[in-house]
Amino acid sequence: MPSLRPIFAKTLFNLGAVDENLVVIVGDISHGLLGDFRNSFPSRYFNIGICEPAMVGVAAGMSKIGLNPVIHTIAPFLIERAYEQIKLDFGYQKISGNFVSVGSAFDYSKLGCSHHSYADVSLISHLPESQVFLPGSPLEFEILFQSAYKQNKVNYFRLTENSHDVEIESKSIKIGKGIKLREGSTLTLITTGAALRNCMLAASELEDIGHSVEVLYLPTLKPFDSGIIRESLRKTRRFISVEELSSHDGLYNLILKASAGLDGIKSQQLAISEFIRGYGSYAEIQARAGLAQHQVSRAGIDLVGK
Amino acid sequence: MNSDLRLRILNMICASGEGHVPSSFSIVDIINYLYEEIIDVKSLSNDSIDRDYFILSKGHGAAALYAVLEKFGFLTSSEIESYGKGHSILGGHPDATRIKYVEASTGSLGHGLPIATGIAMGLKIKGINRKVFCLVGDGECQEGTVWEAANIASNQGLENLIVFVDWNSSAQQLMPIENLGEKWRAFGWKVFTCDGHSNTELRQILLEESEVCGPSVILAKTVKGKGSKLIEGHGVWHHKIPNAQELEQIILELQDA
Repeated sequence: MPSLRPIFAKTLFNLGAVDENLVVIVGDISHGLLGDFRNSFPSRYFNIGICEPAMVGVAAGMSKIGLNPVIHTIAPFLIERAYEQIKLDFGYQKISGNFVSVGSAFDYSKLGCSHHSYADVSLISHLPESQVFLPGSPLEFEILFQSAYKQNKVNYFRLTENSHDVEIESKSIKIGKGIKLREGSTLTLITTGAALRNCMLAASELEDIGHSVEVLYLPTLKPFDSGIIRESLRKTRRFISVEELSSHDGLYNLILKASAGLDGIKSQQLAISEFIRGYGSYAEIQARAGLAQHQVSRAGIDLVGK
Repeated sequence: MNSDLRLRILNMICASGEGHVPSSFSIVDIINYLYEEIIDVKSLSNDSIDRDYFILSKGHGAAALYAVLEKFGFLTSSEIESYGKGHSILGGHPDATRIKYVEASTGSLGHGLPIATGIAMGLKIKGINRKVFCLVGDGECQEGTVWEAANIASNQGLENLIVFVDWNSSAQQLMPIENLGEKWRAFGWKVFTCDGHSNTELRQILLEESEVCGPSVILAKTVKGKGSKLIEGHGVWHHKIPNAQELEQIILELQDA
């Protein structure tokens, strides 16, 4: 399961060579990977140190005079700690920029809750001009970043260290477009980012015991592809959302909004509802949050039986 | 003493029933001086990024900025007279998306200096030789982001960034900051001190400042409510609107000055 960080660095290097307004600001992370960018474009690379709120304000100042900042550090520090700067300096002032985080919800599984982030996606989504991406593979990041980074929006990319390893055709990767990865008729599993892996495995398992499962994958959460959701739910009438996000405001809520007016929908949300305390592997923390493959399968069996 | 500007501030705030009179009186001489003698005012009229920048980080002093912008032709009298009303572009804190000649939407303290730092860094990337001026409060210097930005600016050697601290001792009645100048110096800044109500001293200090390298901070000693003994100092007047009788008294004081 490769990390998305190398493709992030490569994409920035390629774009930086042709776009002299692209500026990279990092908060003491990924310097090694970004070495090519730093060495080739030293006047546009800043390791600004450990000061996330000011880092965001500085980026807003640069954007104000026509530069295009990419601001990068660990998700909770970038988004949750510096949220007022993102809200006011970017959102309120209608200033554009690209926020790229690492660590996702709990990729730093052995470092504890200080390095977890469950509400980042929700927070950025509140800004009127924002776009939110949870790419689960290097190809998705490359395509979505290249398409979005000059659109004068507040773009948020949540990188993951754990690619889903599901093959996706490049032509189906588009801003705001969901992707149907399995066709089925009795249950829809709907997911985003790295959680796709367990959904695909669970869908196979459920199929083995006779259930027909559709899998929808949404690497963009804002704008949200309501059409693909409605089309699927008209058929299956049952869905489970599987999300490495806060249960209070994440994928499930988006699906409910998208499915307004459809009758007789049965559903379940698999998401993060409390601090996932303790340490362990990514898979162990995932299971503690209720997002492991067997937990998705179990939820599927229960829902189909209803 | 810019009595005309103070009267304009007073009228704006009293007519709308919203605003911070003492804070605005504290900073109006500094802002007026910058626009009168330092900032390339002509450069502000074009849409180019090749211009000087002034950021009012203590956004609650907005009425002072508006009065100066009107004086230099960047706001109309009808815009000023609409301050605080439903259709107005002007209110208690400035909105840069609505006022072309305001560089940052401030109000929450500690935001202006990081933005100013980013502009100063961006100008260097683009090879544009312009200055960025940022006005912060001494109370605002209790915000962590002020010092995060101070650290970045000295690390980046931003000789194009000049900060004014409106040193009206607000901090003293909150959590006193001892040796404010020493703190800035420790963060690598060149520190100057002057009377923030004196054009002569501001002129002298900016002349001296132009001789040094690296970011500079000017601790401008000011009086909150300067111009009216009735509202001078700290306490109830910070966010109070004068009644008719008080308004008359303040106007008389300003006219006598």
